[in-house]
Amino acid sequence: MSAILECSGLTKQFGKKEALSGVNIKVERGQIVGLLGPNGSGKSTLIKLANELLTPTSGTILIGGKKPGVDTKKIVSYLPERTYLNDWMRVNQLIEMFSDFYENFNPEKAYDMLKSLKINPDDRLKTMSKGTKEKVQLILVMSREAELYLLDEPIGGVDPAARDYILQTILRNYNEKATVVISTHLISDIENILDYVIFINQGQVVLTSSVDDIRDEKGKSVDSLFREVFKC
Amino acid sequence: MLGKLMKYEIKATGRIFFPLFLALLIFATITRLLSSIGPEAWDTPAVISMVIYGIIMVGMFVMTLLMMIQRFYKNLLSDEGYLMLTLPVKPWQHIVSKLLVSMLWIVASIFTAFISSLVIALKKGDLTKGITEFTALYHRAVQELGSSVYIWSFEIIIMLLISLASGILVIYASIALGHLFNRHKMLATFGAFIVLSTLTQIFFTFLGMVPGATYLSNLHISANDILGMQRIAHLAMVGGIIFNALLCSAYLAITNFILSKRLNLE
Repeated sequence: MSAILECSGLTKQFGKKEALSGVNIKVERGQIVGLLGPNGSGKSTLIKLANELLTPTSGTILIGGKKPGVDTKKIVSYLPERTYLNDWMRVNQLIEMFSDFYENFNPEKAYDMLKSLKINPDDRLKTMSKGTKEKVQLILVMSREAELYLLDEPIGGVDPAARDYILQTILRNYNEKATVVISTHLISDIENILDYVIFINQGQVVLTSSVDDIRDEKGKSVDSLFREVFKC
Repeated sequence: MLGKLMKYEIKATGRIFFPLFLALLIFATITRLLSSIGPEAWDTPAVISMVIYGIIMVGMFVMTLLMMIQRFYKNLLSDEGYLMLTLPVKPWQHIVSKLLVSMLWIVASIFTAFISSLVIALKKGDLTKGITEFTALYHRAVQELGSSVYIWSFEIIIMLLISLASGILVIYASIALGHLFNRHKMLATFGAFIVLSTLTQIFFTFLGMVPGATYLSNLHISANDILGMQRIAHLAMVGGIIFNALLCSAYLAITNFILSKRLNLE
């Protein structure tokens, strides 16, 4: 089976500014990957390219061997770094919509998670706080039985207690074959669940390694290595 | 997938339009009742209700225009685009679903306006009179034009719908072009609209200069030659439909290209 995410020479320019330059990465299936880098390093750009929300300036990005398109969108579950839900819908209407469009969406899973987070499925999004909306989004995204989850800053806007729940949710809901890519700069919070890390800075990949290698060979935590690599 | 997109588009817009339609019909009924009670038709409550009716009517048509713009921009090119454009659907299906639903509401608004005006103005016997006159007109048309009446009606309906579609698609294309600019998107959208409209005008002017059109306008047909006149008119009509269809596809192609290759959501 082909790698779930593969970039070669991937470059994206916005005008003259290069957001990504010549990125080469290969992410194998069945692991949790941290896409780590400071603000503005190109993490979101990479994830947007994988979702066809941006088109590469040059180079290629392949999801399960295919260019981003309708086929890859079926197997990718994407959590953007902003709230994308419209205000007028109720949570249960959103669940219905996701079931309609995604064959791999599991509504029971979604209702279970809503229940444990005490979110009423009849509530309108309009009445919810920003944090609650983010939780609803994460629930929708994790209720899909996808092959690749791309989570852009999933823990940025919520309180530490919810952060723990979210990480547990991610761990509990991904199966052996699936891959989870989490982009964040809050490393210490997610360090324990990561199998593999990609450090990215100013549009370039500066380091890729398994977390075990970092611990064994360098005798460091990912967090301290990150601080070292990105020292200002 | 197009059907599913349309279903959600109708849900999203219907929650605004159905109450508007209902309000229009209710105020038409109130106006009717109030003005038929008193001996003098123009007493204050009737006037007030008539004014409200007028405001709802104007509001309804303004709303169809606003909704057309807002649904395209907000649902596809703002934050909501992150959800819509990552659905396993092709960009053209998004555009077409929004186009068809916009057309549906415009036609429905016109229909509701017509019905509400009937509610206010219809007097006893008007309906039967109207139907009789319409049947008479229809028979006369069949007499004069023969079976081509049906072709004519068909052509006129297609022409109206396709003109409506091109009017909506030029706005979508302008919004999409405006999206290419990092700043002053609104201004860029207006600019794009003016440029596209001007290009369209130039296109139609050129069309008038192509050999075929010159040939048509130079044909000498006497006023009595109804059959010959008809043939020319049909040609013109079909030509108009074809060229409007070309315009539609050009606007659609621009919008589709930007949504699939030049997207840059904030």
